[in-house]
Amino acid sequence: MAIVGFGNLGRGLARVLIEKSEFLRRTQGLIPRVVAVVDEHGAAVDEDGLDLRRLLRVAERKGTVAAHPKGKRGKSALEIIEGTEADVVFELTPTNIKTGEPGLTHIKKAMQAEKHVITSNKGPLVVAFKELDSLARRCGVEFRYSASVGGGVPVIGLAKGLLAGNEIRAIRGVLNGTTNYILTRMSKENAPFDVVLHEAQELGIAEKDPTLDIEGIDTACKITILANSLLGVNARLRDVRVAGIRNVRPEAIRLAREAGYVIKLVGVAKRDLLEVGPKLVPLGHPLAVGGTLNAVTFELDLAREITITGFGAGPQETSSSLLGDLIDIHRVLGG
Amino acid sequence: MPGQLVKVLEPISSFGGNIQSVVHRRERKTPLGRVPVTIIFDVGERVRLNRILRAFRSMGVRIIRIGEREGAVRSTVLLVGHIVHTDIRDTIDRLNELGGVMVSDLSLAMGRVGQESAARMTIAADDERRTALALSKLEKISARKKLLVIKSVEGM
Repeated sequence: MAIVGFGNLGRGLARVLIEKSEFLRRTQGLIPRVVAVVDEHGAAVDEDGLDLRRLLRVAERKGTVAAHPKGKRGKSALEIIEGTEADVVFELTPTNIKTGEPGLTHIKKAMQAEKHVITSNKGPLVVAFKELDSLARRCGVEFRYSASVGGGVPVIGLAKGLLAGNEIRAIRGVLNGTTNYILTRMSKENAPFDVVLHEAQELGIAEKDPTLDIEGIDTACKITILANSLLGVNARLRDVRVAGIRNVRPEAIRLAREAGYVIKLVGVAKRDLLEVGPKLVPLGHPLAVGGTLNAVTFELDLAREITITGFGAGPQETSSSLLGDLIDIHRVLGG
Repeated sequence: MPGQLVKVLEPISSFGGNIQSVVHRRERKTPLGRVPVTIIFDVGERVRLNRILRAFRSMGVRIIRIGEREGAVRSTVLLVGHIVHTDIRDTIDRLNELGGVMVSDLSLAMGRVGQESAARMTIAADDERRTALALSKLEKISARKKLLVIKSVEGM
């Protein structure tokens, strides 16, 4: 394997691979070997397999994997993708929803080099889903992106796996932990938006620039990915009607509560409607989840309604999806 | 059978319905021993009504006829923005202009002077088609008046 991008998610994956190595060998017959890791400053490469513990220590201390004895400053992700013998490339660089780069190029190059790709990066999926999907087919490689929606909650995996016999009529979801935390706190404390946002930033739940989350754009990206991957529509981010939560006032939350509702930022994907906005969710409804939880309801022709809930963000939770994708590819290839 | 009727009524309350009356028509018992019952109940949302009906069917209750009354489909919607300054009266009048649609309840929470307010509105319509019409008209009006509309996730 090659890991491209060694921030929170990349390091989280490395930690899980260390912790789970014996478990993976015993239960899946899988012995993952990381032959290359690359970050923005350089790369570490060892065809015999890098010692991940040491790599993590170096990365934490020196800020780059290039400081590893097998490391090289200035070595680029493209050199790594094209020049190493990895079977699978993990593309874990930060999301850019306008151009999809650098992830988009990384994924294309990896596929063209006949490497399977696992990504958590929403950018390339939002910008070029159809293109990547058909490129993977043409190159005969597997392409997995479970971690891009729902973090640790297996939204895509559930729909594509055990629910595959259903026609999905609609997908409704609370898909952004930050906004869900803010709305939950506003409701509990009767506090204004700005105060709660500030609190969330101090706790590290909201980013310094929280625009993508609170304007509903992160949720819209996930809705776009779900529409493309599960509903078979060729949707772009601009096709999603988006409203954020900045204008949700404590008074509105109170009026909602008096009538038996909570306000949640909900994304909806149907074949003829893609929408994100604050919605009234009846108390006791499966989507009325609190805190940073995510929840997704599928409306299906056979199973009617299925909802899954869990922790969205976080390196450890997201590693669950990344590792699930890796094991799935291992199985598909008859490993 | 004694107790059967009470069991049949259970889904109504568990899905948030409100029973108004139950008429047990023993005199019209069918040859197979089934007893016709007329139940009148209120339920907030169409989706909940459907859940109740599904629960009935799965209990072996045969539904002979469903009649809906005037203003039977109610939807709750929130508005946020300069609601009063953009003439809430006009907003309501324009919804009421639609046949079979009526704004049946309105609660207003005023912001401080110059700040935005929030309102909760209940729209009663004769059927689902009219509800959809009213909600889409409300969205158009709100877009022009720069109000945020928060609809229910049910029925979306």
